[in-house]
Amino acid sequence: MKIPTDPVTLATPLFILTVIGEIVLARFGKVKAHYETRDTATSLTMGLFSTLSGLPFAGVSFAGAMWLYHHRLFNIPMTAAWAWVLVFFAEDLTYYLFHRWSHERRIWWAAHVNHHSSQHYNLSTALRQTWTGGVAGTWALWLPLSFLGFPPAMVAIEKGISLVYQYWIHTEAIGRMPRWFEAVFNTPSHHRVHHARNPCYLDSNYAGILIIWDRMFGTFQPELDDEAPRYGLVHNLGAFNPLRVAFHEWVAIGADLIRQPQHALGWLFGPPGWSPDGSRDTSASLKAAWAACQAQAEREAA
Amino acid sequence: MNAAALIQLAISAGAVAAMVGLAAFATRGRRAPPLDEATARRWLADEFPGVTIDRLWIGADGCGALARSGEAALVLSRMGDGYFARKIAWTAAAHAPVKDGRLSLPLAEFAAPRAVLALKAWPPKDGAA
Repeated sequence: MKIPTDPVTLATPLFILTVIGEIVLARFGKVKAHYETRDTATSLTMGLFSTLSGLPFAGVSFAGAMWLYHHRLFNIPMTAAWAWVLVFFAEDLTYYLFHRWSHERRIWWAAHVNHHSSQHYNLSTALRQTWTGGVAGTWALWLPLSFLGFPPAMVAIEKGISLVYQYWIHTEAIGRMPRWFEAVFNTPSHHRVHHARNPCYLDSNYAGILIIWDRMFGTFQPELDDEAPRYGLVHNLGAFNPLRVAFHEWVAIGADLIRQPQHALGWLFGPPGWSPDGSRDTSASLKAAWAACQAQAEREAA
Repeated sequence: MNAAALIQLAISAGAVAAMVGLAAFATRGRRAPPLDEATARRWLADEFPGVTIDRLWIGADGCGALARSGEAALVLSRMGDGYFARKIAWTAAAHAPVKDGRLSLPLAEFAAPRAVLALKAWPPKDGAA
C-alpha cells in the first residue's frame, strides 16, 4: 500500500474530526463558534469538489515545474535540513504574494472570492476552497522556486504544509495566542481580521504561516477589541448554491467585458470594485470613507 | 481517476453529509429572530454608511426589509441566519411584481438574482411610490 505524502490528504481525517468537535462543543456552549446548516453545506461542498477541479491543472503546473527544475540555477538537496528551512521561507513569501494579488487584482480575486463568501467564521470556512484557481493561473507564482533549484515535490509538500497550517486559524474558538506567537505567526486573531468586511480590516493580513511578511510590507492590521469582525463580502451573496459561489465573480467580469470591452484591462487587472467612472466601491474607497466618518465623529466629540 | 481515488471521494462525500447533518442537528430550534425596525436600520446603516432612510417597510415574516432613500431602494434580505443587501433604483422596486403576498425584487446579479420580501400591499398607496 502506498502511503500518501500530501500533507492535505494526511490531514483530512483531522479536518473532519475537528469540525465535528467544534460543532459539538459549540452546541454545548463550551467554545465560541457559529454554524448554519446551509452555510456549512456550501463550505464543505466547495472543499470536496475543489480537490477534483484542481486535477486538470495539477498536471500542467507540475510539468512546468519539472521543466524549470531541469534548467535550475542551483542544486538544492531534498535531504538537507537547511533546504527545508529555505523552502519554508521561500514558499511562505510566495504564498503572501499570491494571497495579496488574489485580493488586489480582480481576475485573481474571482478565483479566491468564494473562500471569503461565508458570513460565518469556523473550521468549515477553511474548507471553502476555490474551484477556479487553476484557470486563474496563480499556480505559476510557485514555478520560480523550481527554477531556483527546489525539487518540485519539495515545493508541493511545503505548499501542503502551509495549507494544513492555515486550517486551524479559521476559528473564533481561540482568542489570542501568546504575544511572542502572535508577533511571528499567523493566528486565529490575525486571520479573523483578514476575513472581516469591516472597512478598517479590508485588505490586510495576507500571511500564510508567518505574519512577519504583513508586518514587513505594511499590510498588518491587529484585531481591535472595540471592532468585532463582521464576516463575508462587502456585498454578500444572496444564494448558497455552490455554482453561484464558485463562479459569480467570473460571470460579473464577463458581463463587464461584454458591456465595455474597451476597459478590459481595468476590468481584469484593476482592484475588485474598480470601474471606469469610479461609481463602484473598492477597498481603498471604503477605507477612505470609513476614515472620514471616524475623523468627523472625533471632531464632533471634541 | 482510479478506484482508490473514487473510494476516497465517496468517503469524503459521506463525511460531508455527516458533518452537515450534525450541524443541522446541533443548530435545530435556533432560528434567527425576526427582523424588527431597529435591527433593520442597524443592518442598513452598516451596509450603506451615511445613507438617509426616507421610509422603511419590514417584511411580514421578519425575513427582510425595503427602504427608500431618495431615488434608490435599499433591499435587505435574509440569508441563512444573516442578511445580504443591495441598492437598486426605486422605480425598479416600485414596479416589482407581487405574487401570493410576496414582492419579488429583481437584483440582476448572478450572485444575488432576486430578493423576495413578504410585503403584501405593494406598491404603497400613500405616495411613496
